Amino acid sequence: MYDKTVRRRRAVLVMLVVLSLLLLSVYFGEAPSGRLHAVQRGFLTIVSPIQDGANKALKPVRDLFGWFGDTLHAKSQRDQLLKQVDKLRAEVVAEQAEKRSYRELLSLYHLDQLGVGDYRPVTATVVYKSPNLWYSTVVIDKGESSGVHDNDPVINGEGLVGKVAVAASDGAVVDLITDSSMGVSARVGTSTATGIVQPKVGDPNDLLLQYLPTNASAVAGEDVVTSGTVSPPDNSLYPPGILIGQVTSVNEESAYKSVNVHPAVNLHDLDVVQVLTAGPGSRAAVIGNVATSLPVQSPTSGGEEQLASTQVGG
Amino acid sequence: MTGAGLSGTLLWRLAALTVFVVFFQIGVVSEVPVFGVTVDLTPLVVVFVGLLCGSMLGAISGFAVGLLVDLTLVQTLGVTSLIFTLIGYWAGRLRELRDPQAGLTPLLVGAAAAATALVGYSLIEFMLGVDAPVSFQLLRQIVLGVLVDTIVALPMWLLVRRALEGALPEDPRRRRRRAYTTGGLSPLTKA
Repeated sequence: MYDKTVRRRRAVLVMLVVLSLLLLSVYFGEAPSGRLHAVQRGFLTIVSPIQDGANKALKPVRDLFGWFGDTLHAKSQRDQLLKQVDKLRAEVVAEQAEKRSYRELLSLYHLDQLGVGDYRPVTATVVYKSPNLWYSTVVIDKGESSGVHDNDPVINGEGLVGKVAVAASDGAVVDLITDSSMGVSARVGTSTATGIVQPKVGDPNDLLLQYLPTNASAVAGEDVVTSGTVSPPDNSLYPPGILIGQVTSVNEESAYKSVNVHPAVNLHDLDVVQVLTAGPGSRAAVIGNVATSLPVQSPTSGGEEQLASTQVGG
Repeated sequence: MTGAGLSGTLLWRLAALTVFVVFFQIGVVSEVPVFGVTVDLTPLVVVFVGLLCGSMLGAISGFAVGLLVDLTLVQTLGVTSLIFTLIGYWAGRLRELRDPQAGLTPLLVGAAAAATALVGYSLIEFMLGVDAPVSFQLLRQIVLGVLVDTIVALPMWLLVRRALEGALPEDPRRRRRRAYTTGGLSPLTKA
């Protein structure tokens, strides 16, 4: 009797471990359109209405916990923001004059820039967040039925949040900019040199802008914005000028310069986001398709984007 | 626990507990960072189920919780299941071989489960070839993660025990009472 129990216990353990390894191997080896990925998408479709309901029901609990943290940070944030407002007020005046000149130049050279205005923003609520260090993802309550597709950029009022990784019918999984699969083409401030923003694994508050030319200028406190180009390994076309974060420090390396970036978006406090969807046949969709269909450079060749969106339109 | 000890009530309670904890974790707990990290209740529920129900149910519930987490969060299928299966089985064997009764047991076992889960994730992700720079911060995050999970281990232990109490054929309270009345030995040897 004892032997039978021991044998059964061991058999169950071996079976479960083998099953896990089998799932792991098949899932990792198959294409995103494979069977297990399809099962996962199907599961997401089924549970997303439940998640949505549970999210609404649990919101008061979440808000209660969040309230304590928010109150503690509110005062220091207010002082910082007042200083920023003073600084920005002066900058806005100068920027407006530059913008006028810039528009004149664009029309003069018949260049057309892809901007956020070329996308159809879909507002979505974050219903779930991934809890561990390795998967920086959130689940939103809008999916393909609202026009959301894989690789669509996701933003909020503070800046770039990430991109849609998997879109189901009534929900979607969003990879945050701190997810290890992300690589966003970006530039520092108004400089023309571009690099790739990637996360520092294990540090959700830090990003790394890599592969900048050594002569590129970067100063602590400067804004890092999307450059409007597609970079491997990420196949998402983010409109140019979306704020990613601020430079915290600069590292000089042998062939390239890298910059530590603090994300502008508080990724711990995501509630409402906007998915920048491109309607079929729209300029954003056409440019996005062109960009992603071109031959992909090796990820290690960093900083070599496939397409400069500013040179495609008009 | 043997298969003969399984009851429908226990299975239903385990299923309900599993689903509730996973959804509560993803919907609420993940939204509230503590010391810059988020508490992860899922390895705690697995390890405590193992500690209360034995190795077989511990392993099965570990696999189920892991699969549910991977499916819900669209992560690589099998990673969490593998780690949680081993955690649940280990906790069950601990109970079957040592039957620890000390008050600090949930804290220590919870910390061990959290550490195993966090280090396990890291190792598997490295083996799968995550292409990203790894910093000293990762170690700090793992240590902080273990610390915050240890803090919530005791309330989580009480919750899991409360949820399963009464449905366990080898109820801990009954087990202790029997040990007391027999002096911890078999009635045969006492006679």
